[in-house]
Amino acid sequence: MGGTASKLPKELLSEYQELTFLTKQEILLAHKRFSELQGRENGPYSSRVSMEKILTLPELKSNPFRKRICHVFSTSDLRDGSLTFEDFLDLLSAFSDSATLEIKSHYAFRIFDFDDDGTLDGRDLEKLVNCLTGETDDTRLTAEEMRQLISNILEESDIDKDGTVNPSEFQHVISRSPDFVSSFKIVL
Amino acid sequence: MEREDKTITFQRLLSDESYSSDLSSDSCEYYQTEIFGLLPSTQTHRRAHADDITHDQNERLRLDRICWNPNVPLRNLPVCLQDKRDIRDRQHLQKRSIGSWDAWRRSQQTTRRRLKEQVGRAVSGLLPWRHMIHRIEGQFGVGVKAYFVFLRYLLGLNLLYCVIIGGSVLVPTLVYRGESTETQNPDWSSLYKDMFVGSGVLEKTAVFHSFYTRGSLNGACLNTPLLFLLGMVSIIFLSIIMLVRRTVVGYKHSWITGKHFSSNLSYKVFSGWDFSIQSPQAASLKQNFTRNELKMDLEEQAFHARVKQRTLTQWVRLVLFRILLNLAVLCLLTGSFMLIYYAIHLQQSCTDESTECVMLKYLPPITMTLINIALPRIFTKISEFEDYSLTIQLNLTLIRSIFLKLASLSIYLFFFICADKDYQFCQFGQKKNTLKPSQHNSTILCEENEFGKEMYKLTIFNLLEGFFSAFCVAYPRTFLVEKFPSSRLAQILGNNQFEITLNVLDLVNSQTVMWVGVFYCPLLPAISTLRLLILYYIKKFTVMRCCAPAQRMFRTASSSVLFHFTLLLGLFMSVVTLVVNINRFNPGGCGPFNGTRTVFDVTNDCKEMLPNWAKSTISYISSEAFAFTLILAEVVILTSYVSRGRANRKTIERLKDMLVMCSSDKRFLVKQHSTIMRRRQRPR
Repeated sequence: MGGTASKLPKELLSEYQELTFLTKQEILLAHKRFSELQGRENGPYSSRVSMEKILTLPELKSNPFRKRICHVFSTSDLRDGSLTFEDFLDLLSAFSDSATLEIKSHYAFRIFDFDDDGTLDGRDLEKLVNCLTGETDDTRLTAEEMRQLISNILEESDIDKDGTVNPSEFQHVISRSPDFVSSFKIVL
Repeated sequence: MEREDKTITFQRLLSDESYSSDLSSDSCEYYQTEIFGLLPSTQTHRRAHADDITHDQNERLRLDRICWNPNVPLRNLPVCLQDKRDIRDRQHLQKRSIGSWDAWRRSQQTTRRRLKEQVGRAVSGLLPWRHMIHRIEGQFGVGVKAYFVFLRYLLGLNLLYCVIIGGSVLVPTLVYRGESTETQNPDWSSLYKDMFVGSGVLEKTAVFHSFYTRGSLNGACLNTPLLFLLGMVSIIFLSIIMLVRRTVVGYKHSWITGKHFSSNLSYKVFSGWDFSIQSPQAASLKQNFTRNELKMDLEEQAFHARVKQRTLTQWVRLVLFRILLNLAVLCLLTGSFMLIYYAIHLQQSCTDESTECVMLKYLPPITMTLINIALPRIFTKISEFEDYSLTIQLNLTLIRSIFLKLASLSIYLFFFICADKDYQFCQFGQKKNTLKPSQHNSTILCEENEFGKEMYKLTIFNLLEGFFSAFCVAYPRTFLVEKFPSSRLAQILGNNQFEITLNVLDLVNSQTVMWVGVFYCPLLPAISTLRLLILYYIKKFTVMRCCAPAQRMFRTASSSVLFHFTLLLGLFMSVVTLVVNINRFNPGGCGPFNGTRTVFDVTNDCKEMLPNWAKSTISYISSEAFAFTLILAEVVILTSYVSRGRANRKTIERLKDMLVMCSSDKRFLVKQHSTIMRRRQRPR
């Protein structure tokens, strides 16, 4: 641990601790993992790692939402899902044990909002359910089941009855789900 | 202001997870930041386009909104690191303009918050097996983890008992113990047998009741029997308080998430994915679970629709069939109870010291275990025929199994208490035998010890069973399936599954045994702690090495309520048994209460020593007049709680309405905002 500690400047480390939910050890571990992905040591903190490389992390590899996660946390102008080290820290912070329900539900909403339009509509929900059940034809729900399921979800959580789930409705539902905080978690 | 207050209460009602109240109080601002953060215009332009004027304005607007409340830590903002930095720079500017007192206070707040978090983290870091449980969670999902967390909780509970017992019972007895009267040489050759049965050498040691005789510490208010009683009573009260608290907390959760607000399917979709899953295998299994569960729920809906269309004749036929099956279940239960009775009978007919007798002494636990293994599986099959919906089927099996577990234990206790003793309760009107067993063979037998021995045996046997099922059943089975996957037998057996319900019931069962036995076998918590420790490693081995994840999903929150509730049932059962036992045994026989008429006589001596006012207070407290006042006070308090609960329910309804209003307001504002933005863009 001592060897890696020297690579991150001290003031940067404390700044990261202030701005994220991560502990010092977690940040150092994240830095180590990230520079392994980068391929060279001591890279500048703004250099990007492509989405393909990020997705080779075992923590993300088998997650059906992995591409969405990269897109949501990426600050790239090209919208290619590539992450800087700071974006990577943002990701880990939102998925850490100590992140608040508000943060987690905010990012969960953005991950589930596949077309980035600010609401979860029928198509978003369909994609979401497909991610949950598996994308192939034999694992998918039938069209009838899907229709029934989506109408059920909208009936339950679409409070203002406009046909879509908006962020506050989403947070409203999520805040009552006791499993959410414990399952929305990625730890390196 | 009033509205804000309501929001705070609402948040509290909704989420126990919102860690501190200062976070939830800012929820108003949060919704706004979210809306602004999620606007399509902000999403398409991220930072960096510094030359773009519209974007710059937009950015400033967004940051302005976010800077709203400086008390919220920056990391709680849902924006990227660079934005947080920008916001912080702005806050630094603000900080310079405000007074030094404010700045100091603010920094103090941060330090305090950080300290609190660090302490919390350090405490949670002390919990054992965090990494292992995390790994199990990653591979087998939340359900199996719930089992291990429950095991850890029980371990902690037993450790606490050990401390209490050590402090109040063991140490005083050891320190102030009178000269040991028996100096006979123990027969070490039969030690292995004694270890299993709890006889011989062990009977004379601190494991059992008779060791704790009244020693040289013999004040009226400070003597070993009193300390013994104090230790036991505090154990019982402590467990009641802790369990009730945990059950109620869990119940609150499940009530909030339960049928009263029907958004079950939304949860399953929105919080359906377990992001901590790492291996692709576990991921595809999780997808299977989710799919199965969603299908199950949809099927259930269809089932309810079908139920509504049932004709009368179909109803009658179904009800008759159900009654028949329930009778069958009753027959099975009765049969198993009879079996237990015969096992006890056989065990007690054997008195000599041969090896067969040692085996026979284990007959009742073996019978109970076999019954407990076989019957729940039969119940699962039976409930499939009853044409209930799937959830009810699962719950029904669970309830029947719980009933079986606790009832077979209580039957065992009951018959044991009744079998060869002349306890009048069991004689059902027969003439009471006046000859007390303690009178004719008190030198050889100590009834309390006999009872303690039974509980000791059950505990040891539970451990043996754990060993056996892991290394002689589960492991060979896995071995067979792995080595000869094509053989017929392997295909019939299939992969092992970790059945959470049955395992939890096992834990509850053995914990109940511990509570029942602790009064007569004071070292039982220590044995139990050791057993749980070993059991943890055995179960870990079973899960990691031998098990494929179960096909049925298990939800953490609702299931842990059920776990704790059954534990509570077990506790009540053991308290009842203890009360019966205290009345049953003649305390003159052996142990700390030797020579007193009843167990509670030791407190009377102490009471006599007290000054007059204290004596009269105590006698008033134990009188009917006080009980009446107490009941009245309780009625008043309960009424106030009930009415408060009703008021809260009404508030929830009102707040729901308000949420609808708020969200439509927001929608309107967002629309307004986007039209304004468009209008601004047009002139350029």
